[in-house]
Amino acid sequence: MAPEANIQVTLWGVRGSIPVADPAVFRHGGNTPCVALRLSDGARVVLDAGSGIRALGDTLAGTREPLHILLSHLHLDHIQGLLFFKPLFDADREITIWGPPAGDGSLRDRLSRYLSAPLSPIEMRELPARVSYRTCPPGTWRLGPALVEAALVNHRGPTFGYRISEGRAAVCYLPDHEPALGQSLETSEAEWISGYALARRASVLIHDGQYTDSEYQAHLGWGHSAVSDALLFARRAEARRVILFHHDPAHSDDDLDGLCDEARDRWSALGGDANSVEIAAEQRELSVEP
Amino acid sequence: MTGSNQPLELILARNLMSSLAIPSFLVDNAGMLVFYNAAAGELLGKRFEEIGRRSLAEWSADHAPFEQDGREIPTEDLPFTIAVRESRPVHRRFQLRADGGPPMEIESSAVPLAGASGCQGAIVVFWPVSGA
Repeated sequence: MAPEANIQVTLWGVRGSIPVADPAVFRHGGNTPCVALRLSDGARVVLDAGSGIRALGDTLAGTREPLHILLSHLHLDHIQGLLFFKPLFDADREITIWGPPAGDGSLRDRLSRYLSAPLSPIEMRELPARVSYRTCPPGTWRLGPALVEAALVNHRGPTFGYRISEGRAAVCYLPDHEPALGQSLETSEAEWISGYALARRASVLIHDGQYTDSEYQAHLGWGHSAVSDALLFARRAEARRVILFHHDPAHSDDDLDGLCDEARDRWSALGGDANSVEIAAEQRELSVEP
Repeated sequence: MTGSNQPLELILARNLMSSLAIPSFLVDNAGMLVFYNAAAGELLGKRFEEIGRRSLAEWSADHAPFEQDGREIPTEDLPFTIAVRESRPVHRRFQLRADGGPPMEIESSAVPLAGASGCQGAIVVFWPVSGA
């Protein structure tokens, strides 16, 4: 019997809002969101193009697998690495950039507001790679051996969460998400919880955990989650492994260590295995098995 | 897909309505009444949790909306039905009965919730006409 397919995940950028270059964050990393998935056929799916995508690009020199970049949304911290992604400067490369729909222009037009003068020295039309820009279709579609599902989730502006599955292994990516805004995650019916269907029984859930509970009170409606809400959401969705992501720029490694201890205690109190919760760190690699 | 979600537009609308003291309810794009808030429950005589979701035809049967002259208003002519069907806002004054009570005159405004993927439903605000 053929082995069950799995997905290789590497975290290249885990910080939210703005890159941080400070020795106090070097262990977890200061780059903004980028996660790379390697599928069983060798194809790469890249989730977001924050500053973490630069280092990913350095590892792809000389490779020719199809590249798909799935943007959750177009806030700057999720696209600011595009101009520094070497494959975009390789004329032999074919790259597809996917993103959410919006009423104010095509994905290409919206991205070009950043990748154009005066904000950028290079225009999108000058990128040597063969790049296509596609709005994600509703529902589920196939990228090679994987099924991809995108759905709008609660954040400011049109924002997608993604679920990428191959066989029975499923990765759910909700980097910027505030499902607890205006409702109780404990008592709401599941279908009324933003992102629930994407996260349901995911092998790995990568979820926004930007704030401590006390910090969250001053940031209601900003589109990000308190760690306790992220865990409650994950528990409702029965996610098997949780990676807390999109760290606040002000959180040092020591702060994140403390948050990790709290998160594990809380996850245990919710009935989960403490070791299945972690704080995202750059260069972290994991194999997602069914 | 291992479950199902309401569209984000409806989730956000429901969360907003839950915080409003204005009677309001939420209709999905299939014509189902999927939620109404506590203020609407007070007006209609029953909390949403008591009756759950129902079709607009069932809602019409319960509350028998009718014109000033006594003519019954077909479900397809109610503001929320039109708002979803034609994706446009609709305002109308009519009468209905709340849980077997006497007729009351209300005004109702229905606004379609049109997202990037089209019309997902409508948010409907209604209130009794004072002095009617």
